[in-house]
Amino acid sequence: METLALSEPVLLLLLSLVEQPRHGYSILKDVESMSGGRVLLSTGTLYGALQRLLTEGWIERVEEDDNPRDRRTYRLTSRGRRNLQLEVERMRHLTKLAALRMGRKEA
Amino acid sequence: MVLTVYCWLLCLYPGSYRREFGEEMTSVFCKARSDLPPALAAKISFYRREFCGLLSGALRAHLDRLFGPAVPFRRFDMQPQFRFPRSTVLLMLVIFAGTVLTIAKASSIAGARPGSVWPSFVSVVALMLLTMCTAAAVVVGILHALRRSGVYRLENVQGRIDSVESNGRVP
Repeated sequence: METLALSEPVLLLLLSLVEQPRHGYSILKDVESMSGGRVLLSTGTLYGALQRLLTEGWIERVEEDDNPRDRRTYRLTSRGRRNLQLEVERMRHLTKLAALRMGRKEA
Repeated sequence: MVLTVYCWLLCLYPGSYRREFGEEMTSVFCKARSDLPPALAAKISFYRREFCGLLSGALRAHLDRLFGPAVPFRRFDMQPQFRFPRSTVLLMLVIFAGTVLTIAKASSIAGARPGSVWPSFVSVVALMLLTMCTAAAVVVGILHALRRSGVYRLENVQGRIDSVESNGRVP
């Protein structure tokens, strides 16, 4: 069966945009802080993911007149938020299943 | 100096990608660099991550442009952060062997007598083969690094979500 889960970096990236729109460097630091320094994104990886998410319509740029070109802000779209919720739901289901199976084995 | 190398590596990306994200990436890189701790190990790790990320990102951007998003990587697993895979050790050994052979070849040319054509010819063929193997190993190494960089499953997830929406249930 094909695995369909989002990667941890992309999941953390999306989670960092849940609360508020952020620019690239802020996302980088937030991902690092959320993962306790375990997930360190390079700029190449970060912007690769941002570009893909923009293309897929999961995130969008916040258009502001005073936003300099090298400090653009990104936010989740309603589609991205819905997809993230579905992904979290999928993970919750997996966690429940794992707990159930492991509990049964231990019993 | 480091910023210049970063800008050179950015030139490996397609023009449209550079125009869209180039300035932003450079700015984020500069900020991240200015926040680095003074420890040498942290700096080495940062530059390694950045430059490998740029190389794999550039290759990925070109592949996306040529073949569409995520086509060759659909089934690849992703890892939480960039790490050197074990195959890197093999790759480095191959490169080391190539360097040693090149030095040996240069020494033999320096001390060669006229007329000993065949041993030189065999060495040149061996060197060519080794160069080709090294090039292949580098490409495999880059592809291996690519699949660990963590952006390639969105399309699959979107497919899954579309299927969920059309069936009206979470599997």
